[in-house]
Amino acid sequence: MQITQIMQMTKSAKIGLLFALLAFTFLPVLAGGQWIKIFISTGCFILAASGVAFMYARLGMVSLGQVALMGIGGWVMLRMNHAFDLPFEINLAVAGAVTLVFGWLLAMPALKMRGLYLALITLMAAGGLEVIFSTYRFPNGGEGFWGVMPSVAAPFRRPLVATDDADYLRYIIFAIVVGFLIIELHMRAAPGRAWAMIRRSEAAAYASGVNVVYYKAWAFGLAGFLAGTSGGLLAGGLGLLDPATFRASESIMLFALMVVGGSRGWLGVVIAGVLYRVVPALFNDWTIDADIALVIFGAALLHAIITAPNGLSGQLIDLFGKVGKRT
Amino acid sequence: MKKTTLVGLIALGSLSMIGTASANDAVCGLNNGQAASGEPIKVGAIYGNAAPGDFSAATDAANAYFKCVNENGGIHGRPIQYLVENDQWNPELAAQAAAKLVKDEAVVAMVGNSSFVEMSVNAPMYAENGIMAMASGCAVSECFESSNIVSTNQGPLASSVGAAMYAVEELGATNISCIGMAIPSVGNWSCGAVQSYMESKGLNASYVLLNPAAPDVNSALLEAIASGADSILVNLPAGLAIAFLSVAEEQDLGDAYSWTSSTPLYDASVPKTLGEYWSGKMFVSAELTTIDGAGADNQNWLRVMDAYADPADPRDTFAQAGYLSARYFVKTMNEMNPVNVDNRALVTAAIQAIKGYDSDLMCGPYYVGRADRHMPNHAGIIVEVRDEAFHVVRDCFEYEGPYFEPILDAEKTLGLR
Repeated sequence: MQITQIMQMTKSAKIGLLFALLAFTFLPVLAGGQWIKIFISTGCFILAASGVAFMYARLGMVSLGQVALMGIGGWVMLRMNHAFDLPFEINLAVAGAVTLVFGWLLAMPALKMRGLYLALITLMAAGGLEVIFSTYRFPNGGEGFWGVMPSVAAPFRRPLVATDDADYLRYIIFAIVVGFLIIELHMRAAPGRAWAMIRRSEAAAYASGVNVVYYKAWAFGLAGFLAGTSGGLLAGGLGLLDPATFRASESIMLFALMVVGGSRGWLGVVIAGVLYRVVPALFNDWTIDADIALVIFGAALLHAIITAPNGLSGQLIDLFGKVGKRT
Repeated sequence: MKKTTLVGLIALGSLSMIGTASANDAVCGLNNGQAASGEPIKVGAIYGNAAPGDFSAATDAANAYFKCVNENGGIHGRPIQYLVENDQWNPELAAQAAAKLVKDEAVVAMVGNSSFVEMSVNAPMYAENGIMAMASGCAVSECFESSNIVSTNQGPLASSVGAAMYAVEELGATNISCIGMAIPSVGNWSCGAVQSYMESKGLNASYVLLNPAAPDVNSALLEAIASGADSILVNLPAGLAIAFLSVAEEQDLGDAYSWTSSTPLYDASVPKTLGEYWSGKMFVSAELTTIDGAGADNQNWLRVMDAYADPADPRDTFAQAGYLSARYFVKTMNEMNPVNVDNRALVTAAIQAIKGYDSDLMCGPYYVGRADRHMPNHAGIIVEVRDEAFHVVRDCFEYEGPYFEPILDAEKTLGLR
């Protein structure tokens, strides 16, 4: 495939980039301190959801351990920050790389399993990580391997270009765009074609000479990398992390909201992130019990499963398409 | 008959008037009986209310006191607008709440904060933004070891050391097993201080920590027994502490060890819940005076709660601490020049200058000062669970141990010793 074909801009990509540009320019200016914090968190989970969405959309694989993998990325990020005096970006790359390896490890059982059994394996891994996080906690500048001390966390170094919250939100929006582009590049290159064949039939993919093991592991590695990077960015948002953020139930929730939003494009992933973090924050701001959001999410999931196989994003795109034709 | 009814009605009316007068006898701020008016002074607070518990008692009490102040002259005639956020024990929500209050609402100070989570997350942010948090429900080390947070409560460390001192000095303990939560800035920190205190006395101690996600009280008890301890110090939230003691009761270990606890067990419902078995066996370290303490300030707190708080709001140690933080804040603000009370930097400086405030609620003076750590409340009382009630068995005493040495040095520097 020629490089010009790979770099070709689709209409969706153009709209996505325009959306990102607008968010990059105006969101940090218009949002107050509280909402910048909320959007930082939302951005991190959008990046994580993009990993689990492409696995579901392109390979048909259900991973219920994405938020737990974020925890690994966050753990490595904090450990690196407190152990070495390296730039934020290097720590972030290490966090992504280590989580990529964990993604590969998680891929081992996935090579033989599909559907419900694969989902259960990833969920059990998330449960195991939840126990480890709640037992050993996250590094805060202490001594030893676990790096935990019973006192105020040591300072966290943010990127030099994004030391305040507004700039850090811009940094995260940029990271999301880069993450989406990495996925898109994969879609348009050999891995994307291999994943498409594997999704239709593993036997057919084998017969066509596709290395199924290699490309499945690649997919898990990429999803792990995105999760690790988003976990590292989340650590930068607060300067510390709490085990409660990475419970196994949160991975299930993120996956369910990805189904609600739609897994086939950037819009669905953005909707998933907004539902996951912005809707409960709105409820909190309105002093409505944020748990009501769970009821709404349940109804939205039923709606998506019954009437919207491409999620809310699919319905929105169809709606805009119809309006466009009429006008 | 008519005469009797009339007399009855008059008596009833008189009683109710006495009751009203009693409630309205609450002394608050300038106490001039004039409602505050003008532009409000914004004050913030963050509390936690979700599993593992509701920590809103302090902000409820502070809110009641501020209502009373607003009806009695406010701060130099201006009312206080008290903005309270719930962090739901979630670090992200805690950071968002602090950003809303400190950056968006531009509050001049935080008063009555009470949470396991928010201090850990927001301590650096308070320092960066030059705002003081006059907290009331600190439970983590970060709360006591940061420059811009000071609390009226003691937290698990001081309270546990107080319990350990009583166990050694009155119950003859030589080897204590401290049962805490496996949260580094809570269990490790507070039980670690108990261990340091015991070692400083040439005695032994160890600790057993429960995983907060899956606490196994049976295993913890067995581990404590295996440690060879002769005294067990329960340093757990009330619900978990009761579960732990229930297991010990099933094993009939009440007389095999001496038993002490940090403050969470000092709750009015606990003696009845524990039952007759623990009568005379359990000794609890209390951070402030008893709930029914006869001191003038404690009685004023009760009157404020009766007149301005919801009847369902708790009347407990955290509520006492919330009232005290609010009272000290108002006193400080009213001592400031009226033109400066909207200036956060000057309010912070005024709070940091607090020295030697007294109340019968606390055993020692309250102070702040410019320091990297603050723990003004490090003396307490011991109560015994007896006959389904609490009884004071040791009045105010100062806690000892290596942890308190830098605090005592700071107090000498401030001229408080």
